[in-house]
Amino acid sequence: MRASALYPPAVRERWGAEIDDALRDTGARAWPDTLAGAARLWLHPTDWPETRAGQTRRTVAVALFAILALSTLLLRAIEPSRTLTADTAHPATSLWLAPILLGAALAAPLPPLRWEPLRRLAVQTVRTLTAPAAAVLALILTARSGVFASPSAPVAVALLAYYWATLAFIAHRLCALVARAGTAPSARRLSAALALTGTGLAAAAAQSATTAVPATLALAALAIAALATARDLARA
Amino acid sequence: MHSNDAQMLVLTVLADGPLHGYAINAAIEELTGRKLGPGSLYGALSRLEARELIRPSDGASEGRHRTMCITDAGRAALRAELEQMARVSQAGLRALGPA
Repeated sequence: MRASALYPPAVRERWGAEIDDALRDTGARAWPDTLAGAARLWLHPTDWPETRAGQTRRTVAVALFAILALSTLLLRAIEPSRTLTADTAHPATSLWLAPILLGAALAAPLPPLRWEPLRRLAVQTVRTLTAPAAAVLALILTARSGVFASPSAPVAVALLAYYWATLAFIAHRLCALVARAGTAPSARRLSAALALTGTGLAAAAAQSATTAVPATLALAALAIAALATARDLARA
Repeated sequence: MHSNDAQMLVLTVLADGPLHGYAINAAIEELTGRKLGPGSLYGALSRLEARELIRPSDGASEGRHRTMCITDAGRAALRAELEQMARVSQAGLRALGPA
């Protein structure tokens, strides 16, 4: 993998080739600075030059949905949990989800309410989500077929891998849909969405602290990233 | 912008004329004795370009390399920063007294 792939798209488009060349010339000792530089830039979207109008906002919206997707996978991995739930039967331990859902709604790229943009969005949605929908259907049919009622160890591992690969594929395609959806939300909306998401993730991290330490650390890292990016956008 | 950060070093070497990333780092090494890491150098270039303190030089790119030049706003920012540094430096030297 090229190191420049770790950088925000606008930076990659301008300096990607030079970053890779510099890293090749300098060797392994340049990796810490290269990684820290990428992380600093991701946390400061106002530092990105723009190739196209709205490029920064669109990239931040996709990054926000990537954070949401990663969080969902993490939370799925630590289920079931008594301290961290996501259902209406346990409102006290599910409250963390409210700011996250509000944040996702704020960050969703909404097209203008006219026929042509809505038609384009519908076509994009069908094109982007057909393959993950087929993967989910195959998963459900496999589960309900009864063929693998008592699978051997290698088959069980393969089925588990297929399950997680399907979840990751859905997450990837949803992020791709956000990227292709056209109209990006305003910087103000994105900042509020990131702040809400960061708050929800911080609450989730706190709730899972006693039961799942690695997931807590990952959720806390995602919360900090969301809150830091929200702060940078708000300053702009 | 802090007086010792990568952005000021980049502006300083670009004040002398347009350069591409590799040449900017070589000039910084000549000036300070140390090269910047790729993350620091290209992070600084991105920030400066986003703030319109530098821009791509007209028709002077060399292959994969983008040649950059300082803008009028960049010159003004650099001058203000260097003048502030000079004031701090003079005050510090005065306070220290003769060597």
